Amino acid sequence: MTIIKKPDLNNALLRAKLAKGMGHSYYGEPAWPNDLLYTFPIVILGTITCCVGLAVLEPSSLGEPANPFATPLEILPEWYLYPTFNMLRIIPNKLFGVISISLVPVGLGIVPFVENINKFQNPFRRPIATSVFIFGTVTTVWLGIGATMSIDKALTLGIFF
Amino acid sequence: YPIYAQQTYENPRESTGRIVCANCHLAQKNIYIEAPKEVLPNTVFETVVKIPYEFNKKQILGNGSKGDLNVGAVVILPEGFKLAPKDRMDEKLLKKTKNLYFNNYSQKLDNIIVIGPITGKDNQEITFPILAPDPQINKNTHFLKYSIYVGANKGRGQLYPSGEKSNNNPIPSNAEGRIEKIKPNEDGGYEVIIKTKDDETISQYVPIGLNLTIKEGQRIKAGEYITTDPNVGGFGQSEIEIVLQNPTRLISFIFFSISVLISQLFFVLKKKQFEKVQSLNQNF
Repeated sequence: MTIIKKPDLNNALLRAKLAKGMGHSYYGEPAWPNDLLYTFPIVILGTITCCVGLAVLEPSSLGEPANPFATPLEILPEWYLYPTFNMLRIIPNKLFGVISISLVPVGLGIVPFVENINKFQNPFRRPIATSVFIFGTVTTVWLGIGATMSIDKALTLGIFF
Repeated sequence: YPIYAQQTYENPRESTGRIVCANCHLAQKNIYIEAPKEVLPNTVFETVVKIPYEFNKKQILGNGSKGDLNVGAVVILPEGFKLAPKDRMDEKLLKKTKNLYFNNYSQKLDNIIVIGPITGKDNQEITFPILAPDPQINKNTHFLKYSIYVGANKGRGQLYPSGEKSNNNPIPSNAEGRIEKIKPNEDGGYEVIIKTKDDETISQYVPIGLNLTIKEGQRIKAGEYITTDPNVGGFGQSEIEIVLQNPTRLISFIFFSISVLISQLFFVLKKKQFEKVQSLNQNF
């Protein structure tokens, strides 16, 4: 028995908005107070409980004390740097490695301009941009997984050889 | 042997995170560890170290004959955690650890437990009984998340602490040249005679128990292995995280969750009540 407000079709402004596929906030379940006052607090309290539960049951661990003279057995950066770390590892020339890393944001910046002339938003109608995106994502995940393996499996993931 | 490490190193875990057993047990094999996610203070829990290998594998012994593999393990607990005393263990745990003799690494470090060498056949899973500390009594411990580091080994090592090689290694040839002759020795080993380019003859001793991979007349390079690798074992290390949980925190969280649940319920009820008002007025 949710309360549904019907659109007032005598309102010319609303009719004009509806004709454009807009004006959705003029009808349906009223936001105030049904949603904002009663449903939002339920969700907020649930989120707080999840956070408190994680803090109690799974506290973050204290790392080992830093020691600049002891290199850990496995050197790995934070997880979001795995793909670029792996590129730096694989490319034998360090200068090219650094250049390849700086090319990543440059490549990302180019993507919106590649198919700029195309007027469609639908990804299936933007084949070049979509394939660049899929190729980039797969390569990133692949290199990221490779970063956690030994150097001889860094590129092949030990699948081919 | 754990005793070698106990004699040589004050702390078995180097600052790089490597456990010192790996200095003599050069081969690497995977091991696995299981521990509870959380423990309450002053309770006994078990940590299981798994050292899998195939039973039919035999290793070379010190005298050259073949034998079964032994296993051993070291568990590096956070400070304050200890081996559980016998009177604190329940019957199930006592049964599991009946034939296992655990030792503290040293008198100073009673949070590091070693075991071994013990027969590998019956001990592919070693259960360590551990007593969690109580931060109220031991002020050096806190309710935190800690790491347990484990090293476990099967089979003999490749080096002695003095740096000498054991016979659990393949033998590289001493010189480049042609195998002139392979003479079986009286003790069961071989004497390999290599003729070098300069017409020098070099004789090399291969101890008993190793299988030669060379034939007479074959050409070899210096450093090329002339026997198969007799090693079937290896050392592995792993780590797992464990939370020392405060019981009051746990109970207060349960009460907090219940109070949240009740207030969420009242929000739903209040909304339903107000919807009735709305449906009567119809002027929102």
